[in-house]
Amino acid sequence: MRSRLGPVAVAAVALFLGTLVVSQFRSRDVYSRSLEQETPETLATLIADLNDRNRELRSEIFDLQLRVDRAQTEVAGGKGTLEESQRQLEQLEVFSGQSAVAGPGITIRIDGAFDEHALSDLVNELRNAGAEAIAVNGARVGPRTWFGRGPNGEVVVDGAVVPGPWTVRSIGAPDVLYVAMTRTGGIMGQFQLIYAHTRFTVTREDSLDLPALAGQ
Amino acid sequence: MGATKLQKGLALAVPALVFGFLVAAQWATVAASRAVSLRYIDPLSSTVTSLENEQTALKAQLADVRARLDRLQQTGAAENGSVQELTTRLEGLRDRAGLTAVSGEGVVVAFDMTRAAADLGQDRLPCFAPDLTDIVNAAWRGGARAVAIDDERIVASSSVYCVGGTIVVNGSIVSSPFTVTAVGPPSGILAVMNDPAELTDLKQRRDQQIVDLRIARVPDVTLHGYEGPVIVRSAVAR
Repeated sequence: MRSRLGPVAVAAVALFLGTLVVSQFRSRDVYSRSLEQETPETLATLIADLNDRNRELRSEIFDLQLRVDRAQTEVAGGKGTLEESQRQLEQLEVFSGQSAVAGPGITIRIDGAFDEHALSDLVNELRNAGAEAIAVNGARVGPRTWFGRGPNGEVVVDGAVVPGPWTVRSIGAPDVLYVAMTRTGGIMGQFQLIYAHTRFTVTREDSLDLPALAGQ
Repeated sequence: MGATKLQKGLALAVPALVFGFLVAAQWATVAASRAVSLRYIDPLSSTVTSLENEQTALKAQLADVRARLDRLQQTGAAENGSVQELTTRLEGLRDRAGLTAVSGEGVVVAFDMTRAAADLGQDRLPCFAPDLTDIVNAAWRGGARAVAIDDERIVASSSVYCVGGTIVVNGSIVSSPFTVTAVGPPSGILAVMNDPAELTDLKQRRDQQIVDLRIARVPDVTLHGYEGPVIVRSAVAR
């Protein structure tokens, strides 16, 4: 008498494999979006944003081209590229948070309930508005800064507990930063709805002093 | 008896008819609104695409000018000892600022909305920008040396935001599926990513099969340097 276990085992394996293949196929069946699914209003905003960025890129290319010309003259004069190197060093020290900086900007004061996600979103929004340097409660925010929650629910920035109230100072064009933060439907409006008992104050500043990144 | 049968039939037929009518009406409304908006969508999306192409060309041009300036500095460094010292410091700063390529082991996170979730949501595209910033934040927390969203390197000026359902990083459109690559210690980065208290929104939607989320260790990966402008206009070094 032939064993009936063989076909049953084969069927079980086939069923298992079939389930695996289908589940794998289904899980990889992700949605591929395209611009055609956006509304005309959204596309118009994207066009404005891309135009802005391309303008910035053109301006940077123009500026660097001038610096290349100057550096060529310096090298031809046997001076090396001392001036250009010093200029670039200063620019990169500011950009990467390695030097203390001064300049106009805005101060945002947050008094009341707030959390690490909201603080991270606020920094993201400030960068989007063109902030060149940011500090939270006196500590500079750098390229690798992270936000977390401490064991007792405190806000943690780069591993250090940063208790409220929070003062977020950022250097950049004050009017641009101010409008970006306080516009109708903007991040401050959203915060005021979510954290109804928290007080948010945004102030334009003629001059701010921010420290370099800690531990540099 | 016959009257009861008729009543039962009507009890099923009437709601079915109403439901059918509602479905057809909804379909007709969506189709009509698409027909109107398509008139604008085609030329507008073509403009977006041509601006993206222009941006790619501008980035290549910028990289070329930067490389020329670097070469001049190398020449200047050979001629002048002070420039040599500055050039060495500049190389370190470029690395810290994210302007140079970085290679090494790390972690790749890829995610996108599932087809099933997209079908349920119909025309509305969700905004994944907060998820992307959460992943980047977790990577830094885990000790990453460098992070990129698709090809866009995350630097001090980087922002991630949505315009509709489209993600913009460093002023460039990033397409789905979204990929965040972190170069750094995989064990540290994975420990944070796998922490139940981290990426909670994204993991919850993965469990609900709304998004397809994959987190994997990679033995060797290279991230390009930041290709955008370094804008320092208002801030002055003290």
